[in-house]
Amino acid sequence: MSDRDKLMDFICRNFMVEEGEFLLDESLIDQGIIDSFGLLEISTFLKKELGVETAQEDMNRENFGSFEKILAYSSRKREAVYG
Amino acid sequence: MCGIVGILKTASAGSIRNEVETLLPYLDHRGPDAWGSYGAPGIGLGHTRLSIIDPGLGHQPMVSDDSVLVYNGEVYNYLELRDLLRSYGMTFRTDSDTEVVQRALDFWGTEAFRKFNGQFALLYWHKKKKELIIGRDRYGIRPLYYLPEGGDVYFASELQVFDHLGERKRFWSEEDLFDHGLLWNTTGDRTVFKNIRSLEGGHFQVFRPGHCGDSVPYYVLGETYSEDNTSSFEIQKEMLREKLNESVRLRLRSDVPVGCYLSGGIDSSVTSLLAREINNNIFKSFSVSFADPSLDESEYQKLLVDSLGFDHHSLKVSAQDIEENFVEAARHFERPVFRTAPVPLYLLSGLVRQNDVKVVLTGEAADEILFGYDTNKELKLLSLWKEGATDDKVENVLLQLYPHLDHYADSQQIGFLKMYYEGFLKRFEGPLAGLSMRVSNNQVLANMFNRDWNIKFDFDSFEEKIGALLPRQSGNWNLLRKNQYLEMKTLLPGYLLSAQGDRMAMGHSVEGRFPFLDHNLVEWAFALPEASKIGGFNTKHILKESFKERIPSAIVNRPKRPYMAPDLTAFFPSGRKGRLVEEFLNNGIVKDYGLFDSRMIERFIGKIERRGIESAGYRDNMLISFLLSAQIIEQGIRNPQRKKIDKDKMANRILEEV
Repeated sequence: MSDRDKLMDFICRNFMVEEGEFLLDESLIDQGIIDSFGLLEISTFLKKELGVETAQEDMNRENFGSFEKILAYSSRKREAVYG
Repeated sequence: MCGIVGILKTASAGSIRNEVETLLPYLDHRGPDAWGSYGAPGIGLGHTRLSIIDPGLGHQPMVSDDSVLVYNGEVYNYLELRDLLRSYGMTFRTDSDTEVVQRALDFWGTEAFRKFNGQFALLYWHKKKKELIIGRDRYGIRPLYYLPEGGDVYFASELQVFDHLGERKRFWSEEDLFDHGLLWNTTGDRTVFKNIRSLEGGHFQVFRPGHCGDSVPYYVLGETYSEDNTSSFEIQKEMLREKLNESVRLRLRSDVPVGCYLSGGIDSSVTSLLAREINNNIFKSFSVSFADPSLDESEYQKLLVDSLGFDHHSLKVSAQDIEENFVEAARHFERPVFRTAPVPLYLLSGLVRQNDVKVVLTGEAADEILFGYDTNKELKLLSLWKEGATDDKVENVLLQLYPHLDHYADSQQIGFLKMYYEGFLKRFEGPLAGLSMRVSNNQVLANMFNRDWNIKFDFDSFEEKIGALLPRQSGNWNLLRKNQYLEMKTLLPGYLLSAQGDRMAMGHSVEGRFPFLDHNLVEWAFALPEASKIGGFNTKHILKESFKERIPSAIVNRPKRPYMAPDLTAFFPSGRKGRLVEEFLNNGIVKDYGLFDSRMIERFIGKIERRGIESAGYRDNMLISFLLSAQIIEQGIRNPQRKKIDKDKMANRILEEV
């Protein structure tokens, strides 16, 4: 399963949405899919399933402001770690 | 405190009275002491009585030359009103407040409502004019619903009464159910059921046979508002003490013993302290404690009991107790709820009755009128942030917001918290004020409901809808006042006073009284400068400062924590779905009832079981109660339990053939 599929699966299974029902380039908070606790759940998922540890200074809208941004953030981090 | 029913339809006196009487057994819990009925051509009224004032003579329906009254509640200033009416030459047959209410309406008409200080819902039939006036107290403490059907109208204190009018009457209103999910209340006179209306607090409405008038407000929160910037804080404190004292004094008027609820917080500490000082014979006090130390407040309750010397009774509630009693309590909620916290209060009212107490004082609504809620802090924070507060300042306040939620107190996660609140910078000054956060979090429900309902949430149009409900004068209010108005139209009557208040106490025939909801106090507090109520980020500042010498300092200075009970832990014992989840959220019943999307329910349950309760968030905890309570209510509607008339309780049967 690709990282994209894993993240999509995680969000759908844990936040009771379906793929295609939410916008990928808008904030999950603003769309009401998650609250602040949901961000924590996603960062725990990134750590456990994708091996990406979220640094404190990275917890912002730049990196977590949409599905696409979270995905891009995790691949950037992985590249930085694993080259 | 009592239950009332009414029927307005074309029928003979005898048949309409009979129909009214068939409904009385369903309000027995509200009034187990005596029942009464009235029938005249076209009108029937019924009453179940919990005798509190003038137990010997205050029977209802009460008939005067002009009118017939059934009334649920108390008008505390009835002695003063009686003196006033006597000065106009009126005489009284009883010592009851009911008679004063009736004669006041006879004399002043609907102008009387503005003179009442209390909590009530009433049906008043004017015999000559052939019109029915229905009225409700200012803040909606006591319930009143009606169901127009063809040219007929049915009235009742509780929604479940309508389940006993032949075929099913309660059908969910999809839009209102979603509104209720977003706001913890429906808007205006709507209920979660199609066709059934709720008379709003502070309103009356006039019905004639075949004609249903518009509801008319006789009170609007903040109607006397003009900002008080002149008196010093010392004087304000003195006035708060005086007004609260007067409110408590009036609320101790009762011919039966009064007790009090102690939560362990400052609000109920203050009301019980004042009650104790006014009447030394008082009291018995009652508290809920929890097996789970993260929810338990008994340490603070004990401090107060020791300092005031109450005869104290405490009920320890476990997660298992919640699961075992949830169904019975949910039948009384009459609307879905987001917390299990009403259940312990249902059990507590049982304990109150066992101790021969019928009336309790509680600290409800101090948070609304003196800015105790964290939403006030959130709004202040957002204001500061918008005005350019430093990151350090913002982070500092954020960390203090919700110390009882683990992840909020963890400075490692501050970035996420900031991200979350940042999203509200563009909304918080809009029509929803502090409710923006609640609404945003709860919109997840749109995905949980039956997909055929096609429920979609649009923030902008929802804001517009709520904005239209704000009173004209709200344009002159600052943000926190507007927020108070919204809280007092949503969470307070939609949950705290109803599902968690009236229904849980009346479920065991106990009447709650709320000193912080005396309108003289509420209006005075509304005009207080904001800084007196919330000093910096210190909520209920003036209350703490006014009573800090008389209440143990540990109570005054403790961080605020909302009253909560075990949620997911009750319904997923040892992490696996328990009996109620199995029974009410299985695939078959979810599909059969058609309220929720069965795939999403399955996904939700799967998430909790897979990841464990400790990984669940605040929202998951709210969701489980909402889903279960809605399903339980639906089951109750489908299976109404028939009850027989208890002839021994029929103390008063009146027929007028004119």
